Amino acid sequence: MLGIIEALINGVLMGSIYGLTAVGLTLIFGVMKVINFAHGSILMVGMFSAYWFVKLTGLNPYLAIPVVVPFLFYFGYFMQSWIIRPIFEAEKDVREPITVIIVTTGIWYVLDNLSLLFFGAEYRVVKTSVTGKIFEFYDMYFLLPKIIGAGITILCAIYLYWFLKHSKMGKAIRATSLDREAASLMGIKQSKIYNIAFGMGCACCGMAACVLIPFYYVYPTVGVPFDIKAFIIVVLGGLGSIPGAIIGGIIVGIIENVGAQFMASTWTELLLYGVFLFVLLVKPSGLFGMKQDF
Amino acid sequence: MKLFKNLIVPMVALAMTVGTVQAAETVKIGNIIPLSGPSASVGIQGKQAREMALEEINNAGGIMSLGGAKLELLFSDSKSDPTTGVTEAERMINSEKVHMLTGCWNSAVTYPTTQVAERYGIPFIVPVSVRDTITERGFKNVFRIAAKDGWWAKDQFQFLKDMQQEFGVEVKKVAFVYENGDWGTGFAEKWKTLAEQAGYEVVLDEPYPSTTSDLTPVVIKLKRAKPDVVFMTSNAADAILLTNTMAEMRVNVKAIISSGGGHADPSFLKAAGKNAEYLFDIVEWETDLNRPGLKETNDKYKKLYGNNMNGESVDAYAAMYVIKEALEQTGSTDPAALRKTLSEIKVCGGMVGLLAYDCVDFDETGQNKNASLVIVQTRTNSKGDGMDRITVWPKNVRRAGYTPVFPQPKK
Repeated sequence: MLGIIEALINGVLMGSIYGLTAVGLTLIFGVMKVINFAHGSILMVGMFSAYWFVKLTGLNPYLAIPVVVPFLFYFGYFMQSWIIRPIFEAEKDVREPITVIIVTTGIWYVLDNLSLLFFGAEYRVVKTSVTGKIFEFYDMYFLLPKIIGAGITILCAIYLYWFLKHSKMGKAIRATSLDREAASLMGIKQSKIYNIAFGMGCACCGMAACVLIPFYYVYPTVGVPFDIKAFIIVVLGGLGSIPGAIIGGIIVGIIENVGAQFMASTWTELLLYGVFLFVLLVKPSGLFGMKQDF
Repeated sequence: MKLFKNLIVPMVALAMTVGTVQAAETVKIGNIIPLSGPSASVGIQGKQAREMALEEINNAGGIMSLGGAKLELLFSDSKSDPTTGVTEAERMINSEKVHMLTGCWNSAVTYPTTQVAERYGIPFIVPVSVRDTITERGFKNVFRIAAKDGWWAKDQFQFLKDMQQEFGVEVKKVAFVYENGDWGTGFAEKWKTLAEQAGYEVVLDEPYPSTTSDLTPVVIKLKRAKPDVVFMTSNAADAILLTNTMAEMRVNVKAIISSGGGHADPSFLKAAGKNAEYLFDIVEWETDLNRPGLKETNDKYKKLYGNNMNGESVDAYAAMYVIKEALEQTGSTDPAALRKTLSEIKVCGGMVGLLAYDCVDFDETGQNKNASLVIVQTRTNSKGDGMDRITVWPKNVRRAGYTPVFPQPKK
């Protein structure tokens, strides 16, 4: 019984961190209607930046947040404005900008292979002041960095939610996501909103990277396992919905952890995709998704 | 028409002669190994070892019996994916016209890929890929240097039995944790039979997907099953994740016995650090073995690539010298003749002597019958800044003055 409770709580902790990686993906999709296949690679860029920051300065890993998050924001901002925007403009009369998806896939390959070239295939771990610290409770153990990570995720989600709901920029982002043309007619500069939305999506990855670095290792294709999960989470929680991404992440975390207590962990993937298909059948827009015409 | 005769025909003839001359000058060896994905780091070490051997062979004058022909290595990335391995083998044979193939490290990739080589009759040298069945299908073109997993599992259990006797500790409950590919499941089958024979109770039998992002659920299960000894088969990324998570969750066992692969990867020791203390790993080879020329070659490798060699890279390195010897003896690049030489060859000494045994000698199934294994224990090194792998078993090759730690102290 204790094992199941332990697994449940661990699932919530790890799941909320999955949620944070998915928030960035859902934000970019919500605004631009573009699936960013390079998302996992951006997480990898974030993890390498956080890794080098902690490795070179020896500071607390959470102090990397004010450095890595703005860095990733501008990384995303300029990636959108220099690489994706020209393609987007060429495709602006197309209902679904498929070429953009192909470009993001290209960025994925380029980033992964560049890091393979520069850093090698080696797995890197950095020892920080919180690495390996645990929180013990009735013979159950929880990793301190995971607890902190889950806390940061919740704060982040609340802030993002508030930002989109109440700030002027947030309102402009939401307006663009609802109707590109109408928003442009109201004087909102579409390309700038896209830059900012892409930047914010990447900044979320930066945040997730700083949270992962105290207990996870970095290597050039580290984004791939997280990427696949983020896609499931985003569709499960509803495309474009921030609470949906966090709840979706927690659901995935719980299925993975608790499911594995009853069956071989290989089978939890089956369970995961089973739940995923079921949600799609019953509520195709996802748990928190709005019915909208993309 | 005259123009055709005067110009085109000589040109074609010239092109053909140039073609044949070039073919005699280089021997193409195709290598299908994981250069990206979960096993990339071990694949890249394999590539480095091959390149180092290649440079030595070519600098020493190439293949004498082929008029000093140089070896040429072609690499392709299997991404640890069986389908990619098969298409790459087809491409290597049909488009690149390779004379020989080597690879693929991941047993799941080697298994179908060797099938392609067998169909085309191209000799395929498998430095490491340990699944038994790779050489048990009656194939004529597949030659494996490493020991097969049946031998590995048998030696792991023999080791456990010897340790219990030596230290007077009794082991009753064992747990198996392994990656769900061909390699891991192959080991697990053997473990189950051996555990039954030895009378151990199996408290956990857990496969897991190697590409997973979180192994906490597996570790929670393992901790609750309370085994005395854990047997593991992991690739590098999951070996790091498992070892670190087990240490963090304070999983207490008498011993952990792993199966090479990820646990033998130098980047595993760097990333797991002190969490890997007391781990027992079964390998074919270790840097502290007393073999001629080993230290010099390892130093050269370390200088070039920054890591020590490991069992995998030594096998890949020796494979190049086996290929060289086979080419020397055959004196031709004809695949059928090469196959015949390989099936009869016995390569001893020289650079092949770096292995833990003296000669490479393939039996009728293509398995190197001399391949042998040792068990090492991971300990913090004397400077305290890294981990050291110390040979402990069989007892006659144990590093002088070292007493293994069994059972390991509680965390």
